[in-house]
Amino acid sequence: MQNRTRLVILSITLCGLLLSAACRNANNYSPDAKTLSLALASGVEGDALKQAAREYEAQTGVRVTIAEFPYDDLLAKEFVDSNAQTGAYDVIMLDDPWFARFATPDLLAELAPLYQKRNQTGADADFVTASLALCKHPYETGKLYALPYVGNSQLFFYRKDLFDKYSLKEPQTWDEVLAAAKVIDERERTGAPDGSRVHGYVMRAARGNSVVADFLPIFWAFGAEMFDDNGKPTVNSPMGISALKFMLELGKYAPPGYASFNATEVSAHLLQGTAAMSINWPAWISAFSDPAKSKVAGRMAFTTLPGAQGTGRAEIGNWLVAIPKGSHNQEAAFDFLLWATAPEQMKKSAMAGNPPTRRSVFSDTELVARFPSYPAQLKSLETSKPRPRTPMWNEIENVFGIYLSRANSGELSAEDAMNQANAEISKIVERGH
Amino acid sequence: MSSQPLTTSQKKRSRRRWRGSSLAYVLIAPTVAVLLALSVYPLIYAIKVAFQSGNGESAHWTLEHFTRLVSDRFFLAALWHTLLYATVALTFEFLLGLGLALLVDRPLRGRGLFRALLLVPMMLPPVVVGVVWRLMLNPDFGAINGTLRSVGFTTDALTWTASPALAMLSVIAVDVWQWTPFIFLVLLAGLQAIPQEPYEAARLDGSSAWQTFRFITLPLLKPAMLIALLLRTMDLLRVFDQIFILTEGGPGFATETVSLYIYRAAFRFFDFGYAAAMSFILLIITNLISAGYIRLLQRQEAA
Repeated sequence: MQNRTRLVILSITLCGLLLSAACRNANNYSPDAKTLSLALASGVEGDALKQAAREYEAQTGVRVTIAEFPYDDLLAKEFVDSNAQTGAYDVIMLDDPWFARFATPDLLAELAPLYQKRNQTGADADFVTASLALCKHPYETGKLYALPYVGNSQLFFYRKDLFDKYSLKEPQTWDEVLAAAKVIDERERTGAPDGSRVHGYVMRAARGNSVVADFLPIFWAFGAEMFDDNGKPTVNSPMGISALKFMLELGKYAPPGYASFNATEVSAHLLQGTAAMSINWPAWISAFSDPAKSKVAGRMAFTTLPGAQGTGRAEIGNWLVAIPKGSHNQEAAFDFLLWATAPEQMKKSAMAGNPPTRRSVFSDTELVARFPSYPAQLKSLETSKPRPRTPMWNEIENVFGIYLSRANSGELSAEDAMNQANAEISKIVERGH
Repeated sequence: MSSQPLTTSQKKRSRRRWRGSSLAYVLIAPTVAVLLALSVYPLIYAIKVAFQSGNGESAHWTLEHFTRLVSDRFFLAALWHTLLYATVALTFEFLLGLGLALLVDRPLRGRGLFRALLLVPMMLPPVVVGVVWRLMLNPDFGAINGTLRSVGFTTDALTWTASPALAMLSVIAVDVWQWTPFIFLVLLAGLQAIPQEPYEAARLDGSSAWQTFRFITLPLLKPAMLIALLLRTMDLLRVFDQIFILTEGGPGFATETVSLYIYRAAFRFFDFGYAAAMSFILLIITNLISAGYIRLLQRQEAA
């Protein structure tokens, strides 16, 4: 009898302990200004913020806990956390295409009141306009919900030595790119360091983010837009279709199988010297001056994107930092935000390879000596263009990417691909309303 | 009986019985609690998510996720890809696995080594398999096209995972490579469990090799075959990892399966209701097919 009672008590206690452990997580966020919790992306961008956090700890005595996630997980974790307002994170890193999904007063803390408490009017004018515009909702004109931390925008990479060899000048237009690709592709049959051929151009045409990012600069240069002023999709406009036709034409000078290429394959071709031109992100630049990684070290040049009917515009891809609405430490979190995005800290992040979002850091002499492409990067960033700012962007990009990839793999004509993409994007937009 | 007062010994016995069974309940209570929390609750929650729309106050019961499925060309294509993938891969895995098992089920030199080597692909995590094959299938730097080129083939058209025509074939081939050993292993165990007597009797009756296989081996191996097929079918219908790594469902949509599409809907688009609805359809299909196998298995046992 006694034994049984003991067992019952034991198991009830055990269950109770389990339950209380489970509940503690949910109720344990008492306002404690001395601890901050960060959610960041694993990789070079997140590492810089992590480094800043460690330094901040040492300087101020504020304890910073860090949760690090791979790219896709980060979005899921942050979105679920912000919706449930758990307050698990005080500072979150956001990739700019996610921003439209987060930018509501229900999910993120507005920054203007926090600036006012510190007798400041708002973010200072040193931030690159295009980067700061991303942090507002609606774009450029609305309320400020984040600060830009890493200032990526696409650059055009080309092999300077091959261009000189065939007296080609730096391409200003996509037609010049196509002409140069043709010349190099035909004449450099054995020109690569390993004796194989040099392809004229290389691009990412795997579905998803990849193909959309490599296509949009062409699409925009041809004067096309994904949506009209009323938010109706217009990817199958005559300009849009001719842009895709142009991409397929350029694809003839790309390595076979480019319809499944992601960043890995594109950089492999560029580093092996088997491709002459590409659109790429600045993060890759340092690899091209490293002889240990690149067989063509020092022979690559970087410039702004070519134009067509319109001027060339790069896609912007900035990392932003924001404070979830559910955070109980908004004041402390904002102090950290200001500190991490100040010129001194941003320079440290830039030294680690992250493009800055401040003009003063872009013109820092030490940095310019180290990264000669900085003037081109700043120009590209200032004239860059954001992906369409809609909360449904992930779905739209997915569908658009599927049809672009199908056209590049030869499954669909440019017209069919764009018409079908337009129809499917319309469905998503309608569902979003 | 019941109206009579219980004797002391009866009372004692009944109390002991109660004590014994209550102790059993106490002991299994934690397991039941964990099961309820980890599988029953999520299942009920998933039903709620699948049949509800809207957040907070605007939440209401609806069938809209299921009606959307019927007109979603991407879902229908993904479903077709899944069934195609499962059918073709299962056929090849089964035939190859059966052939190998029959081959190894006899005294051969180096049999142990052969068996060990055959199991290697199955031991690898699917993600590793995906990465290795992705590298091997790379049209330019990959080992497969490299080998073909070195013996004089032109490989320009062999873009494997980038070609709409070859991509499905490529992912199926990788699945066959990885999972044939599983069927082989189960069938080999089945073969070795067959008693020798029927074979001896058949030999005495002068039956041919084909007759022995058809009328003795095959019927006696049937339970093992059904179990192997059942487990593989369930796995194939929910395939995710290798395809995700190898092609991410591309080029275009050519290798997107239902699992990948569910993943995208839930964790990329945060459309949990739609993802839950698709999961239920996949669950129902898997259950129907499995029930078919299990019925066959039971009939076999009864016979």
